[in-house]
Formats: sequence, C-alpha cells, structure tokens
Amino acid sequence: MASVVKNALKGIRERGIGSFIREVRDEGYLQTKIHNIGATLVGVDKFGNKYYQKLGDTQYGRHRWVEYASKGRYNASQVPPEWHGWLHFITDHTGDELLMLKPKRYGAEHKENLSGEGDEYIYHSKGHSLNPGQRDWTRYRPWEPATKA
Amino acid sequence: MLARRATQRLLEIRQAFRQIPQASRSFSTALNYHLDTPDNKPDLPWEFNDANKAKVTEILSHYPSNYKQSAVIPLLDLAQQQHGGWLPVSAMNAVAKVIEVAPIRVYEVATFYSMFNRAKVGKYHLLVCGTTPCMIRGSREIEDALLKHLGVKRNEVTKDGMFSVGEMECMGCCVNAPMITVADYSSGSEGYTYNYFEDVTPKRVVEIVEMLRRGEKPPRGTQNPMRRNCGPEGGNTTLLGEPKPPPCRDLDAC
Amino acid sequence: MGLGLLAFRALRSSRILTSPNPRHTILRRIVSTPELQNPEAAQAQPESPPPDLHHRAPVAGARVHFSNPEDAIEVFVDGYPVKIPKGFTVLQACEVAGVDIPRFCYHSRLSIAGNCRMCLVEVEKSPKPVASCAMPALPGMKIKTDTPIAKKAREGVMEFLLMNHPLDCPICDQGGECDLQDQSMAFGSDRGRFTEMKRSVVDKNLGPLVKTVMTRCIQCTRCVRFATEVAGVQDLGMLGRGSGEEIGTYVEKLMTSELSGNVIDICPVGALTSKPFAFKARNWELKGTETIDVTDAVGSNIRIDSRGPEVMRILPRLNEDINEEWISDKTRFFYDGLKRQRLNDPMIRGADGRFKAVSWRDALAVVAEVIHQVKPEEIVGVAGKLSDAESMMALKDFLNRMGSNNVWCEGNGMHPNADLRSGYLLNSGISGLEKADAFLLVGTQCGDDLKIFEHFFHSISPLLMIFELRLKGVLGKCPTVLDRPTAEMPLLGLALQGSPRVEAAMVNARIRKTVRATEAKVGYIGPPTDLNYDHQHLGTSPITLKEIAENRHPFCSTLSNAKNPSIIVGAGIFEREDKDAIFSAIETIAKNCKAIRPDWNGLNVLLLNAAQAAALDLGLVPESNNCIESAKFLYLMGADDVSLEKLPSDAFVVYQGHHGDRGVYRANVIFPASAFTEKEGTYENTEGCAQQTLPAVPTVGDAREDWKIIRALSEVAGARLPYDTVSGVRSRMRAVAPNLLRVDEREAATFSPSLSKPESRQEISSEPFGNAVENFYMTDAITRASKIMAQCSAMLLKK
Repeated sequence: MASVVKNALKGIRERGIGSFIREVRDEGYLQTKIHNIGATLVGVDKFGNKYYQKLGDTQYGRHRWVEYASKGRYNASQVPPEWHGWLHFITDHTGDELLMLKPKRYGAEHKENLSGEGDEYIYHSKGHSLNPGQRDWTRYRPWEPATKA
Repeated sequence: MLARRATQRLLEIRQAFRQIPQASRSFSTALNYHLDTPDNKPDLPWEFNDANKAKVTEILSHYPSNYKQSAVIPLLDLAQQQHGGWLPVSAMNAVAKVIEVAPIRVYEVATFYSMFNRAKVGKYHLLVCGTTPCMIRGSREIEDALLKHLGVKRNEVTKDGMFSVGEMECMGCCVNAPMITVADYSSGSEGYTYNYFEDVTPKRVVEIVEMLRRGEKPPRGTQNPMRRNCGPEGGNTTLLGEPKPPPCRDLDAC
Repeated sequence: MGLGLLAFRALRSSRILTSPNPRHTILRRIVSTPELQNPEAAQAQPESPPPDLHHRAPVAGARVHFSNPEDAIEVFVDGYPVKIPKGFTVLQACEVAGVDIPRFCYHSRLSIAGNCRMCLVEVEKSPKPVASCAMPALPGMKIKTDTPIAKKAREGVMEFLLMNHPLDCPICDQGGECDLQDQSMAFGSDRGRFTEMKRSVVDKNLGPLVKTVMTRCIQCTRCVRFATEVAGVQDLGMLGRGSGEEIGTYVEKLMTSELSGNVIDICPVGALTSKPFAFKARNWELKGTETIDVTDAVGSNIRIDSRGPEVMRILPRLNEDINEEWISDKTRFFYDGLKRQRLNDPMIRGADGRFKAVSWRDALAVVAEVIHQVKPEEIVGVAGKLSDAESMMALKDFLNRMGSNNVWCEGNGMHPNADLRSGYLLNSGISGLEKADAFLLVGTQCGDDLKIFEHFFHSISPLLMIFELRLKGVLGKCPTVLDRPTAEMPLLGLALQGSPRVEAAMVNARIRKTVRATEAKVGYIGPPTDLNYDHQHLGTSPITLKEIAENRHPFCSTLSNAKNPSIIVGAGIFEREDKDAIFSAIETIAKNCKAIRPDWNGLNVLLLNAAQAAALDLGLVPESNNCIESAKFLYLMGADDVSLEKLPSDAFVVYQGHHGDRGVYRANVIFPASAFTEKEGTYENTEGCAQQTLPAVPTVGDAREDWKIIRALSEVAGARLPYDTVSGVRSRMRAVAPNLLRVDEREAATFSPSLSKPESRQEISSEPFGNAVENFYMTDAITRASKIMAQCSAMLLKK
C-alpha cells in the first residue's frame, strides 16, 4: 500500500499531475495497483511480467493473475510457457521452478505472437509473392543445353 | 547453501512430474525390434541339431501338413532350449523355414510371448512372479535379494553367464506365494527343466541359487518344510472326517 | 469417407436440439450435452425419426449386386428394412442402408481384422455391442447405430485410441485428412481420463517413400494386411504385446514392394505418410484434378493435387475396372520429375553445335524449310511413349501431307500387328483377369507395369498360367517401350517378360489377387524373376512356348483343364525378330486350351506404354523397315528411347517434348511441349479403354500442347491441317478410331476366330526373353528426371 502511494507521488513529481492522471486512466494503472493490494508477488519473469497470487477469501480460479510489463500493448502470448502453467492452474510450481526443468540443449526462447502487428509478421506460405523466400523459389528447373553440345 | 536448496527443490519437482518411477516396465528380455550384435544377426548360420531334427519331425506330425505354421510355438520352444535359453534372429529364421512361412510371422509370435527370450539369458533363468498375491507376500523382496546376491539388474546376465533374473506374471501358484521359477538351460533340450520353487524367502532363494551354482538339484515345490504341496502348515485342519453324503442321496432319511 | 459429412450432421442435429425454434433464438447455447439442456426435445426426438429419404442413400453410392436373388436377406438398420445378399457383414448392411459406420481397421479390399472396435453397433437381443465389421448379418437382425449404447461404445473406444496417440496434429501431415481426427470430432468425447505417460515408439525406416511416425500408430494393422495380401511382401508385422505392441519389420528391412505407397493412403492416422510430400503442403491448400496416369499402359486413375502452379502429390482414384484403389509407386512419386529438366523455349542448334533459344516463329520456319528439302520417303516420325492420341493423330496427318507414311510409336516395333485390335490388347480386360483360372505369362516383365497386373492376376482365376516370354529383342532393341510400364503393359508384361511386376504393377496386383482368391495356377516363361505369388517358372526362351504349343509340356494339362485360361504376352516381343512365330505358337496354345471363345478371350497382350494402344488404333505403322537408316528428317515427338545409332549423321532431327532427356542430344531443333499434367489428351490403356487427362497445372515457359505445335508447323510448311481446336482433332480421330472418343468405356476387340492369318514361316529362335523393363522406377523422360525415382532405384533395386 505504502509503495503504491510512494510510486504515485514519484510519478507525479516526474511527469506532472496532468500526464500522470492521463497515464493512470489510459493504462488502468490505478485499477491494477488497487487490485494488487494484499496480494503476494510470486515471481517476475524475464520479460518483467509480474505474477501475483492472493489466497484467502478470493474466489478460487481468480486468485492468480499477471501484471504485464508493457502496460500499453500487452497480450496473453507474452506469458512465457513456464509461467503459463502456474497462471492457468495447471500446476502449482512457479515459473522460476519450472524454468530449471527446461532443456538447455533445444529449448527455444519464448517469443510473443506478433500476428497483426504489421506486414512483416504475417506468415506467407512458400511460393507466395510476399514471402521473402519467394526469391529462391522456382517452379521448375529448365533443361540446360550447355551440358553437352 | 542456496544452490543446494535449489538442487533439492529441483529434484522434488522432477519427482512430482515423474508420476511413475519407471515409465513402463518391460517383461520381455529384449526390444520389439532387432539390433544386430556379433552373436545375434540374421546371417549367422543356425540349424536344429540332429537330435532335435527328429523332434521337429515329431512335432510337425501333430499338425496337418497344410497347417504347418501351427507348430510355430513348440518349434520356437525347442529352438530356445537348444540355443541356451534364448532365440537369436537366425533361429527364428530357421523355424520360419521349417514351417514355410515368412520370417515376420515367426517374429510376431516370438515377440508376443514373454517366455521366448530374444536376448541372452543365463544358464539358469530365474523368473520371479510379480503378480498381486506374490507381491503381497513379498516378491519384491525376493527379487531384490536375488539381484543383490547376483549383483545384476533385471534381465541382465551374471558375468559367468550362469544366472539371469526376470519377472513373470502369475504362474498359478498363488496358494504358495511367493514363488520363483527356474528355467534350466544348462544342458540343452535334453536336460531342460522348468521348475517352480514356492514359499520362498529372501534367505531361501539365495540358498537355491547357491545350490544351483554347485550343480545340485534343489527340491522343487514348496520350500516350507512344514507344508506338503499346497496343504496348510502343520497338516490339514478342515475336512478331516469322511465326507457326509448329500441329504437327498440318503434314501433312508426320505 | 463421408465422415466429415457425418460430423456436420451431428453438429447440425445438436444445434437443432439446443434451439428448438431457431427462428426465435438468436443466442445459441454451447453445451457438450444438449439433451441435458433440453430434456423434452431429446426425449421427443427418438420417437419420431424423420423419414429423411435423402439421408438413406447408400454410402458412397454403394450398389448391391445379387448374384442369386434367393440369397437376399432382410435386415433392419435403425428401423429401416434393407435387402442385402447373404454373407454381408453388419457393416456392409449399414452401408447399403446409408449409415456410415466409423471404422479404422476395416477396409473393403483387405481381410477383416476386427481389432479397432470402432465399428461397434447395437444389435437387438445381443447383450453387448457387436463389432459390425466382423459380424455376419443374419436374417431379421435389428441393427441400431444411433442408440445411446452404440454412441457410448464408440466414445469409449475413441478414448482408448486417443490414450496413446500424441497430440501433434498441428505438425502431422495427415492433419485435415485424418480418419482419427474426423472420427474423434464426430464420435469422440470432448475429454479423456488418461493421466499417465503416453508411450512412444521408435520410428522405422521403410525406405525413401514411406515416412513413419510410429508413435501415432493405432495398431489397426491395415498396412500389415495390405503388405501381406495385396503387395505380396511379407515384411510388416505386429510385434510385441499389450502397450508395447508396435508395427514393424523386426529386422532392418526396407519395403521393397512396388505398391508400397498405398500404405500411405490406407493408414487411417499419420503413422505412415509420404516422405517426399512431408511438410510440403496441407491438404486443404490443394486443388485436385481427376486425371489418368501415363507412366505405364494401365492408365491408372489418379488425382493430381496441385497448389498454384506446382504438382504437390498424386493420389489414386477409385476405378474398379483398372486400378481398384491402388497405384504403383512410380505413378505416385514421379511427380518431382515434372519440375526438373524441363524444355521451356524453342531452341535451334547453331553451327557451333550449341543450342540457342529462339522464338517459335524462327524455329518453325527452320523446320518448315528443311522438311521441304528432303524427299518424302526420307521423312520419319516417331511418337513417344507418353504421347496422347490427339498429337499422334496430328503427327500422322502432317507427315502424310508431307508425303511420308513412316510414322510409328516407340515400343511397338517395326512391324506392329495393328490389323486386328485383339492382337495388341489385353482382351480379357484387367478386371476380367479375375475370372481366369490359369495364367500363362509369356515374356512379360510385369515387374513395373505388371505389378498392378500381378495383383489382378492374383485375383483372377484358379489356374492362372503366366507365361513369361521375355523377348530379348525388347530390351536390346527398344528399351523405351519396355522401360515404361503402362496400363497395357502390365498384362502383357506379366506374361512375357521378366515379371509383370515391373511392366504393369497394377495388372500384376490383379493377378496376385486372383491367385490368392482362387489359387489360380500361374506359369511363367521369361527371365527368372520374383513374381509375388505362386507360379511355375516354365522356361526362359520361346522354346518352352513351342513345347507347350505342341502339347509336349506338363503345363499343357493345367491349361487345357482350366475353364478360363489366360495367356498374357509381354509387349516386349514386339521388338523380337521371331515375333510372328511366337505369336503363332501362342495362338496355337490358345486354340488348344480353348482360350478364345465367344464368352471369354484369354489371349492377352500386355503393353508397356501409355501411347502404344492408341498409336496402333490410329494406324501408326511404319511403311518401310529400315526407315531410320535412310532418314534425312526425323521428327521425334517425345521419343527418347528409339535407337538413333543407325541414323545418318546428316539427318535433321526435330525433338518435340517436355524434358531434356535422351532425345534432345541428337536434335537440331527443339520444340518445347506440355507434359501430361498440363494438357488435355486422350490415352488408351492396355485393355482398350480410352481415358482423358485434364490439365492440373499451367504449362512451363513457352511450351505448347503437342498437337498445336504440329498444327502450327503444318501451316508454316504450307500443308495446313484442317483443325484448330481439340474437338477438331477429335472429330478427325473419330473418323480413324471412333473408340478413342468413347471415354471411360472399354472397347473390347471384336475377335473373329474364323479370320485365320497366313501361317507364319518364321522359326522360333532359342534366344531367351529379355527384360522389357530394366529399371521399374525410371522408364520415361519424366521418371528419369525425378530425384525420388532415382533414390528408389538406388535403394530398392540393389539386392
């Protein structure tokens, strides 16, 4: 609670009251912070998303949530797989614990789903004129007469 | 300190995720596919020996000539006895030739039945019953005692090639549980025996192994001196008198 | 399979249940058990089954053939009476009644295994649900396919099947055309109760064509039964037991069957998929074009799946009379050859011996100029083995107008027996082979082409005598013809040459089917080969044939005792010197064993190439024997396998074709043409059935259809052919060979036994029959350009 107030005061001091209020309104910042009151911070993933849990009289199934690192442009695919299970009540092991199980050899880095974020993220099948690989793709290979002449 | 605690926690998590300690317990001595090894590859010659050739003819005579493939199980059994308790792939090919079917049809049968060993076993193959009644009566301890005494893992052969330990499902001796079976391949198909040793204890089972190692023949059947066959310890306790005839047969009483 | 439709129907009915009055309900509740939401509707429904006659049409248009009307029995499927012949199973009865029963292990062309349990239905008075695929229908049986018991049984079976099935549909090549996917959507539960570890199975290496992901296998054993029963290679088996059960070969072994690709089609899940097609496309991206195959004379019906301008894969189409539902591996996997070595520009060889790409106008002008400078009798035209009837018609017409009649089709030899259609057709018909009870295969090498034939033969008759007369001449002289297994070839090939397995795989498959079904006897004259059914190898040279003709051979009694003996002669003999003598010996045999009767014509020729039958129908017969030696102008229309060694060095060669293969290296001018996937053309298969291809993809570069090139050339040369459209060419064809216009109909040869040919004075030579097909996988320009086929021949043919 105290930290919320302290952060708010810091925000006002840095950006001025007008932009602070706009920010708070636009990003649901206040709502999130109020919701976080009384909850325990279970962990923070490498993208900076914060995972909260509030036990006690919270309704079961609504007792875990995530506060996304990016307040303006967030979506569910930003949650890495190790935290996904905890967040969706698949497991009680937190992401930090599960991260230790991740195979070093072939475990791929998590990447959020960028569909809809611009043309460069749209998937084009092979042969599609917008696919960058199109340049190497030929429909057929012609016979080369020079081989024996 | 922290590192140790983290490692411990990691172990706990691994345990939690591995619900079954062994993902699947294989009762067979080999994989379901063949891998070439120096002593087990298709191009090694293999034939029934002369004594067994007569037996093969005898076995085949039990079946109609157009259903020779019915003899696949007895022939595989014979081949296994001849080859010291296990079936190399060339032996299966030889059986396929005798019964005139494609080799894969023989492989299908040999992989289906767990009593056909497709990997090397000891001269004495010890099979511990692992089904519920025996397990309740302590078959796990029996197996542990055997494995510890012989210094091998399950389905592994001792260095001197004398013993191997396997697990078998219920062999029908639940009344004398726990029990082990000893398949004796030490003297080919002539002296082949397949004996049950019942009412064994971890101590007794080691004694049996040592007797076998010395070449003695331990008495088969129950190992509890107080019992006769499957009767109760210390003699019968019920049904001691003459059985009474059923009332309806007692014509005088009518 | 109609299961998508079923799924749709299930979804539709549940929607109707949830909103009894859809007009007034905008909001639709989504529930997994609609009956619970609306008990009245659920109760009311079973009492009034809608007399939906549309729904009652037999599955896949199944027709019931009653061999004996008295054998009909009546059963009730969901209350509807349906008449079926005795011996039908419950599942077949349901199909006739229009109810599609889900199934995995049941396949109508394989033996019944009954191990997947998906086809459980409720039968009145039966305490348990019964497996309908293995249960014979009995008179008056009341079958219920839609009851809670049947539904629950299916749901339970599906749950078990999915227990060990990996959830990798997104990366599975079967995704979208998977029986398990479709049926779990239609009949499965929306959740499972299995919480243990799923098993995993080691993948097997079955060769360059079939990719295995054995963890996906549901142990339906269709592939095991296919390999054993149809393909005739007993390599696959079911190993192990219980949860350790797996399909495999036990010892490391490649699947060497020429029909192995069909296991991809019959596998109901993604365990066996196509290796060349792996991760290339999704089936919903593909456009299917129903066409026919030209790599052998069988004319297998295929569907070419293309994405944009690319041929992605080839699948078989059902045609009971020709290929049933199988195709050979060559047909299925040669398509990558269509993308390599293509001729895309007209070219002229310059003075320095190098080819230069030129415009069509220039190329045509050069050829037109040269053709007027040579004497008419020095003009020679050879049609290739992949030529369609239209282009052969145009070629013949054009050269005739130029004054030459030296036109023939490679593989037919220099003296084709084109006067009587029965002299070069598979007269029994491919499906007719199933009626034969003895086969004599003479010099065929069904091996490639004949594999299909062999299958046919197997299915045909109890006494199938296959004489393989392998004509040595075939291989040496005209490897082209024999190299290429065609529909026609399979039948002939089986008989005469190495083995029908190579010449016409589908015919071979038919023979094998017959032999399996009826224990037909097969005699084979030809080079030692591996026919995948029981046969007697009678000899390797035509001498054996002579012995049989003179009744001095033990096999004679088999033949004469047979009711429907079938003699199959490989087209390889066309290339032999003593062809007439061999044919007269065969005719004597046919006469001795009464193989030719009004109701049965058992004297068959198995052609090798797709173009052969149509070429003979159109009269592509060379006028003089040694026209190649004296040729000054040679027009090769896709002919790559004619021997050009004797061609004078000053001869002018025009090569018109789609691949830079053997033919182009001697060419002076190259005309690029379309491949069969890119044009509309008529082909006649070995049994005399005319079929048409349809263009699946656009052609490459500047290539044009064959007949159009010749038409253009004729105009430039001043001898304009009188047709401008395909239908124009076809009406010209109608005048020559009207049967080529009757598409998808088998025009049997009218055989007149009274018409006796002059006695041949030729002596049968003792030269053994040769292999018509050297390499099953590489027989023509397209297959020789294919990488997959090259891999196959490298891996599968080395023994």
